[in-house]
Amino acid sequence: MSALEWAAPAEGVDEAIVSSVRRFAQRELDPLEIDEAAQIPTRVLAHLSALGVFGLTVPEQHGGLGEGLRLATRVVAALAEVDRSVATTVGLHLGLGTRALVRYGSAQLQAELLPSLASGEWLAAFGTTEPGAGSDLSKLKTKVTADGDGLRLDGEKAYVTNGGLARLLTVTAASAGEGGLAKGMAMVAVPMLGRGVVRLSEEKKLGLRGSSTTGCLLDGVKVPQHWMLGDPSTGKAQLDHTLAWGRTLLAAGCVGATTSALGRARDHAAMRRQFGRPLEEQPVIQGQLASATVLLGAMRALMETAAAQADDAALHRWSVSAKVFCSEQGWAVTDTALQLHGAMGYLENSGLPMMLRDMRVTRIFEGANDVLITHAGALELQHPAARDDLPSMAQQVADAVARRGQRLREELGVRAFRRPELLHWLGLAVVWRDAVVAGCRHFDSGAWQRTLCREACAARRSADRRLHPADDQAQILARSR
Amino acid sequence: MTDVDPKWEVRMLELIAEVSVLKVSQIRPEHRLREDLGMDSVCSLELISMLAEEFDLDITVEEAAGVATVDGAIAMARRHFALARS
Repeated sequence: MSALEWAAPAEGVDEAIVSSVRRFAQRELDPLEIDEAAQIPTRVLAHLSALGVFGLTVPEQHGGLGEGLRLATRVVAALAEVDRSVATTVGLHLGLGTRALVRYGSAQLQAELLPSLASGEWLAAFGTTEPGAGSDLSKLKTKVTADGDGLRLDGEKAYVTNGGLARLLTVTAASAGEGGLAKGMAMVAVPMLGRGVVRLSEEKKLGLRGSSTTGCLLDGVKVPQHWMLGDPSTGKAQLDHTLAWGRTLLAAGCVGATTSALGRARDHAAMRRQFGRPLEEQPVIQGQLASATVLLGAMRALMETAAAQADDAALHRWSVSAKVFCSEQGWAVTDTALQLHGAMGYLENSGLPMMLRDMRVTRIFEGANDVLITHAGALELQHPAARDDLPSMAQQVADAVARRGQRLREELGVRAFRRPELLHWLGLAVVWRDAVVAGCRHFDSGAWQRTLCREACAARRSADRRLHPADDQAQILARSR
Repeated sequence: MTDVDPKWEVRMLELIAEVSVLKVSQIRPEHRLREDLGMDSVCSLELISMLAEEFDLDITVEEAAGVATVDGAIAMARRHFALARS
């Protein structure tokens, strides 16, 4: 079975939903037109609403389909096979935009908001990044404070995906004093048309141009107390769960778009002749296509593995690896696809430059990959992953990662947590280990598993080479000033 | 670790305040690192790591993972100071 044909079993209703979304996307979406206009046509959003896509993960009692993360990833991937901006708009709504409300919102708030969000009448956005706080959430300046019977929000959010379309904004805010905490973090639902909410202008971006991105000012915004999403005393854990959904759905977008890019590369390689034979018969091209096929398979396996996790800690961990691996390899495979097209791939009307531009940001948003890789290393150091019941080839890779972690633990103890370069080095190995484990569990082909393990070993050697002594780095940087 | 600054507890509270982005006056011994000070599990280990560097203590990851409160962190440091002296 090839990675392009592979799909985890989703029988019956699930498959019908994914198929109808894919058919709609292939029939109705014009990615180049959306990219050029830098917006999604209203009729497309209306059609998606009619298909029930925006209510996919909203409970049935509120007008949705009550589905989970697994089907949501498959739907987002199907959309991303055709248009990444549309997939991002939907994925953001289903994940970061509404997940906190669905899981942590009060019954009253859910009854008030979810029907409109399920029908697509309202779209949802998520605001956490601020002009002065990106991946470091401890620096959040936006504050939520008690205000009479309700809550008051003040601050500014940047890079709000869906910002120009949304009627509901889920924001993160520092919640000093809330819930008896010395310091905490909370998520709060905010009506985008409410008093004190100022939507800033659309950002001009390298890619994902059809996806709306704006800033948003919150100037003394007042909402009722029950618009607080969940218990502020466990706000960080709730945010972690919400972000894990967002990361997994982002990975799904990468899987869909990479499926499309690789499909185009294979079609082109079959058709294009050079030096008397088709590209696909030339060993160098075959090697590139084989690697890309295996990497795409591992991406899909990681996405499915993350989406299947019921436990929050496991979802957190797998979603980090899925996001990093799918965005990095999605970028690499899409670049390969463009390269295989030769000069034609460099022309905008081929669609490949747009695919590459659209892919680029996935290595940045929903947690910059460098930060997430370091985090993956820290998680591994804290709780080494279980190594039971692994396919034999994955076992070797997992053992090598465990030895790395053990070495750090023995040599540095807890001080390893103050060595981000070492955590990053370990984290990169962890991400590849997870890709190998997920991939080998899904594919029993020896050739497939060997190729994936070779890719993992090459990545490890590359990471080793980049682990320069701190003194050397400091000297180079000092002299270059 | 042989010469422990007699003000080490104050310095420790300063470091905890720095990591949790709070004022020292807001930190209380009973505060839980995660639930009350807003740290996640990795962040709390970074804090213990910072204390280990500051006071030159050899602390294992397992021991650090068992620290849940400000008081617990101080007790852990005290144990290590005593060990170093013995």
